[in-house]
Amino acid sequence: MSAPAPIRLKLCMAGEATVGKTSLIRRSVLDEYDDRYIATLGTKITKKVMSVQDPKGAGPATVHAILWDIMGTPTLRDLLKEAYYHGAEGIFAVADQTRKETLAALDAWARSIRSVAGDIPTFGLVNKKDLDPDPQFAAGEIEAFFEKRGWPWLYTSAKTGVGVEEGFRRLTETILADRPILKPDASGDGPRRPS
Amino acid sequence: MTAFVQPDTAVIVRQRLLENAEDVDALFVLAALHAHDGLVAEGITVLDRVLRLDPAYPGAWRFKATLHRMRGENEAGQSAWDRAEDVEP
Ligand SMILES: Nc1nc2c(ncn2[C@@H]2O[C@H](COP(=O)(O)OP(=O)(O)OP(=O)(O)O)[C@@H](O)[C@H]2O)c(=O)[nH]1
Ligand SMILES: [Mg+2]
Repeated sequence: MSAPAPIRLKLCMAGEATVGKTSLIRRSVLDEYDDRYIATLGTKITKKVMSVQDPKGAGPATVHAILWDIMGTPTLRDLLKEAYYHGAEGIFAVADQTRKETLAALDAWARSIRSVAGDIPTFGLVNKKDLDPDPQFAAGEIEAFFEKRGWPWLYTSAKTGVGVEEGFRRLTETILADRPILKPDASGDGPRRPS
Repeated sequence: MTAFVQPDTAVIVRQRLLENAEDVDALFVLAALHAHDGLVAEGITVLDRVLRLDPAYPGAWRFKATLHRMRGENEAGQSAWDRAEDVEP
């Protein structure tokens, strides 16, 4: 019997500049990290191959996650939203725990993506866990933020790797659990959600 | 600790284009900056350059569709959108 075709998913990274979107992808795909900052211009696409439990199927499923690493420039977000978010199936909403304002900014990113891609699963990543948190955060504030929006979330560090794989696995499994009956993908690269 | 300074996208774009006038990422963002400043036709011209350099540049055909629609050029917008459906990774 031949193995089932891989499932292709488009996942978008969202969040303000320098929160660590590119670094999280780099850690996840290459298991590498660099302290130097190179601003992302436009977008970079990376494929991540994962084996996850298919919540609808019996065993593991192979997922080809197509990761869209988008620059964190809020002024260009709405102009570029069709270009970037069309067909997105999941969002990583990335904040930086050393800068409190990056958390509240996630609402505008999620709103922009959902206006194009619909009500897709959103997963919060509160990055730079290896550093001291912004003292302006009140106790329980981060937990309350995500609970209010119903978004699952995790602390991560692209530097140490903490939380990164778990974040990718959990968002992917949430998307698979929500998926309607699959249709084969016309490109031959596995089934994808009908658009 | 010094205060956090938001990186200035326009400055980064200019620097990258000085280093390499055919940096597609910088050109793509330059197109967006033009459109953001209300210079939509200039944006389309730069975007066409991006698409000549890399016809599969991520999001570029859909962005071209957006810009044509902003100018009321619905047919050109639709044809860019159709191209996007063909090339999107
Ligand atoms: N200490 C620490 N630094 C991090 C971590 N993640 C990223 N950084 C650093 O933060 C800076 C910005 O990281 P990037 O991954 O480029 O941020 P980005 O969100 O992609 O930024 P834009 O592309 O401008 O939107 C870099 O200097 C990284 O090395 C982390 O988990 N811990
Ligand atoms: Mg980046």
